Amino acid sequence: MSTFVELVVNGVSMGSVYALIALGFVIIFKATEVVNFAHASLLLAGGYVTAVLHDDLGFLLALGAGIAAAAGAGALVEVLVLRRARVENHAVLAIVTIGVDIVLTTELTRRIGTEVLSLGDPWRDRIVTVAGVSVAETRIAALVTATVLITAFLLAFRHTSWGVAMRAAAEDGETAALMGVRLTRVSLGAWALAGALAAVAALFLTVFPTPGLDRGTSFAAMKAFPAAILGGSTPPPARSPAA
Amino acid sequence: MTSTGRTRHTPTGPAPSFPTGPAPSRAARRTVAAAVAAAMLAALGAACSGKANDGSGSTAGDGVKMGPGVTADKIRVGIATDLTGVYAPLGKSLTQAQRMYFEEVNAAGGVCGRRIEPVVRDHGYDVQRAMAAYSEMQSSVVGIAQFIGSPMVTALKGRITSDKMFVLPNAWATTLLGNRYIQVTGTTYDIDMVNALDFLTKEKGIGKGAKIGHVYFEGDYGESALNGSKYAARRLGLTLVEQKIKASDNDMTAQVSAFKSAGVDAILMSAGPRQSASLAGVARAKGMTVPIVASNSGFSPQLLQTPAAPALLKDFYLASAGAPIGADLAPVRRLADAYGRKYPGQPRDNAVVNGYTNALIFTSALKKACQAKDLTREGVITAHRSGGVYDDGYGTPMEFGHYDRPATRKTYILRTDAKALGGLAVQRGAEESPEAKGYRVPAGG
Repeated sequence: MSTFVELVVNGVSMGSVYALIALGFVIIFKATEVVNFAHASLLLAGGYVTAVLHDDLGFLLALGAGIAAAAGAGALVEVLVLRRARVENHAVLAIVTIGVDIVLTTELTRRIGTEVLSLGDPWRDRIVTVAGVSVAETRIAALVTATVLITAFLLAFRHTSWGVAMRAAAEDGETAALMGVRLTRVSLGAWALAGALAAVAALFLTVFPTPGLDRGTSFAAMKAFPAAILGGSTPPPARSPAA
Repeated sequence: MTSTGRTRHTPTGPAPSFPTGPAPSRAARRTVAAAVAAAMLAALGAACSGKANDGSGSTAGDGVKMGPGVTADKIRVGIATDLTGVYAPLGKSLTQAQRMYFEEVNAAGGVCGRRIEPVVRDHGYDVQRAMAAYSEMQSSVVGIAQFIGSPMVTALKGRITSDKMFVLPNAWATTLLGNRYIQVTGTTYDIDMVNALDFLTKEKGIGKGAKIGHVYFEGDYGESALNGSKYAARRLGLTLVEQKIKASDNDMTAQVSAFKSAGVDAILMSAGPRQSASLAGVARAKGMTVPIVASNSGFSPQLLQTPAAPALLKDFYLASAGAPIGADLAPVRRLADAYGRKYPGQPRDNAVVNGYTNALIFTSALKKACQAKDLTREGVITAHRSGGVYDDGYGTPMEFGHYDRPATRKTYILRTDAKALGGLAVQRGAEESPEAKGYRVPAGG
């Protein structure tokens, strides 16, 4: 029985990390109708920055820098590539993101080389045992963090003007633009937010019980892709009754 | 045909005939289209001329018969490696070590008065890319001194046989045995596991009736290893608890939970380094102190720089046919020094020894073929298969006369050691257990 509970807790925790990645896919898709194949490399970028800086800055600041770096990278892709592309077909942009992914991943794997990098997390390999059920602290931290982030996102999506703009843009971009929603800003925000979520996911993909960040980490990110495709075509919260 | 005529005929691969593109004034798209078309033509041309070469062995001025990949002054040797995929750290060490070896050979005058020229192709651990790389170099190399990945070599088995291509795979699955042209060096994974269980029963107090957990990758590697552990468990009266995993599984929590509730007394691990690190980390954190023995692909020294290090340094062993780079053998020490000088700052791991010694095996076949004045592919494989015990002094004597059995049945048991070069020290020297002696290896054919 305790094994069963352990497996369930671990499974839900891992699932919540993948949800963070999948949410990034969905946010970008809803805001811009682009399937972002560069998501895995944004994740790797966030993880890499955290791994490199944690010795000097300490864990929390390094994580902040990693999140900022991944958000910045996402925003940069939006500003430099997507915004300038004048194409009708969004499949073309999706293919462009494959190119971005190749460039980013190649550079990052070159930097990482054969190393396995630690992200310097405070939980290390500690395990909490309650009534015979033992779960790694990292798994609990992942579950709590993901829950908080996803809840915050859903609330913002429902109640803030940013969320309303995003929903409007997702529902019908042209009408939203006529209503005064600035689509470029929505799109930029979506890419930055997706990058930030990916950086948080990178942390929990590489902490104990996995050895650390290496060039293979981005493959794991792709596991969330089917989840986003299968479950992500409609945003779960706050669809307007008219839709 | 004279040697010069031969040189003219020998294709050097598509690269030289690759056009630099049409006039710059044309649209970029057309340039790309033209380049693709030209590349396809070049590849086709290479394939055709390669076929024409296969049967017709010409003879050089020195009376040596020559086939594909051999000219009057050059021997081209293929390296099909992984420099960008999951086994990139391995591929890098292997390839650098082999380049270093061939440079040393060339500095000493080459083989048969010819320089050895390595032809390196990266397949990123992808079967399709490996097949393309093979097709590309097929007609222009004498053989392949490094081929990473049993799925890749297995997929190409038919072509390797019809091309008579001498191949040294860097993979140890039993499916690769049974082919005259493929030489698995060292033991196979199953033999290593048989010897590992012998080590556990003799030196780690594992007695009859004990339970042994075995985590293994699905596919050739893991299943070869499982064959060995199943056989030895039966012979030694042990119970095996199996856990099959995928290469993408990085978190071994579920496997450790299963082993803990089954109450295993030792764990065998036939997966990648990441999985070993996770398994050891979770097991030790949960208070399991049982010994862990991994297959030779289950460890990399970089792991000792991660938070997983303390767990990996506790009762963790590796079963390997090759001596570790930190071994106390004069040739290995010389190799470690030379590699460190040539590639400062690069990790010195067991792949360095593996790559270097495989290049040595390949070259010794070339040297023998030269003595027989026959550097055709058939001549090289005949030379390789002739003769008794091969011992280059690097700690792994082997027999190459047969190909339906492993070249050796002796396995080193190495233990993790933070101070040792490459992170591993010899716990038990190369030994062939009675169980390994009696074990019939299922050859792939």
